[in-house]
Amino acid sequence: MSTLHVVSHSPFTDSRLDSCLRVCGSDDAILLCGDGAYGLRHPALLTKGVKVFVLAEDSLARNLPLPDWADCVDYPGFVQLSIDYDKVNTWL
Amino acid sequence: MSKSLLVISRQAPWSGPSAREALDIVLAGGAFDLPIGLLFLDDGVFQLAPHQDAKAVQQKDLGANLQALGLFGIDEVFACGHSLAARGLTHPVNAQPLNDEQISQLIDRYDQVITL
Amino acid sequence: MNTLTVGARTLELDKDGYLVDLNEWSADVANALAAAEALELTPAHWEILELLRQFYQEFQLSPATRPLIKYTALKLGADKGNSLHLNKLFNGTPAKLAAKLAGLPRPTNCL
Repeated sequence: MSTLHVVSHSPFTDSRLDSCLRVCGSDDAILLCGDGAYGLRHPALLTKGVKVFVLAEDSLARNLPLPDWADCVDYPGFVQLSIDYDKVNTWL
Repeated sequence: MSKSLLVISRQAPWSGPSAREALDIVLAGGAFDLPIGLLFLDDGVFQLAPHQDAKAVQQKDLGANLQALGLFGIDEVFACGHSLAARGLTHPVNAQPLNDEQISQLIDRYDQVITL
Repeated sequence: MNTLTVGARTLELDKDGYLVDLNEWSADVANALAAAEALELTPAHWEILELLRQFYQEFQLSPATRPLIKYTALKLGADKGNSLHLNKLFNGTPAKLAAKLAGLPRPTNCL
């Protein structure tokens, strides 16, 4: 079963994203939101090769350019992702 | 058939309510006979360290509570091997250590996941 | 505030009638709590109350029904560790009532 991991903490001050990447399955995806959007500047995300989404307003607010390995979603897109994946694991 | 639930507890025991809340979810689920699993990840593995003294910080003894998991019907209790090793903890008696790949499969196996 | 009078002592109870201070519990207190529930304690009751006190010592929490049954079966055997026996002794709500009479807090996971 595929899992959508939602991460809202910056990887530069917090271990959530690193831990998420360690246990992320090959069919899983990560959605970055809030300060989690700073993950777009985190090299580990690139090397892991997992599917990455970022919430548009959070990357815009932080002026984070979208790398070619990530996709941007709005809120309806977020909802659609939570349907497309079997379950959502929010890293609170 | 009820949906299975994996609770991932990743906060240290005494700094906030997260560790307690994760355990409460697990115990409540167990009391209702839900298929439930518990994984200690990151600082959550500090909950498993032996000989802690909850009274010193005026808190309830989480370690003693964890011993009751079996009686509440919670037999699937795991700890992240990587998190244990990174913190210099030996393998705990009441949780089965898993490597990253096994944790990935564990998350995959459950219908729902709550991470606290 | 809820209180319970036992001899010359007045003990504090919470809003659900549970003893606030676990250390104030005694046999007399248990009898008074039982009387308030119109229950007379027999040796079969006492055995379970002692067991609950032991459970609390060991795990620092009040058991819900299922773990109470399991623990009773473990310590006193299956003829006592079953819901029929415990329900009969404690008016059909063994986890809540027995915890109350044993002076333990209300079982948190017993909704």
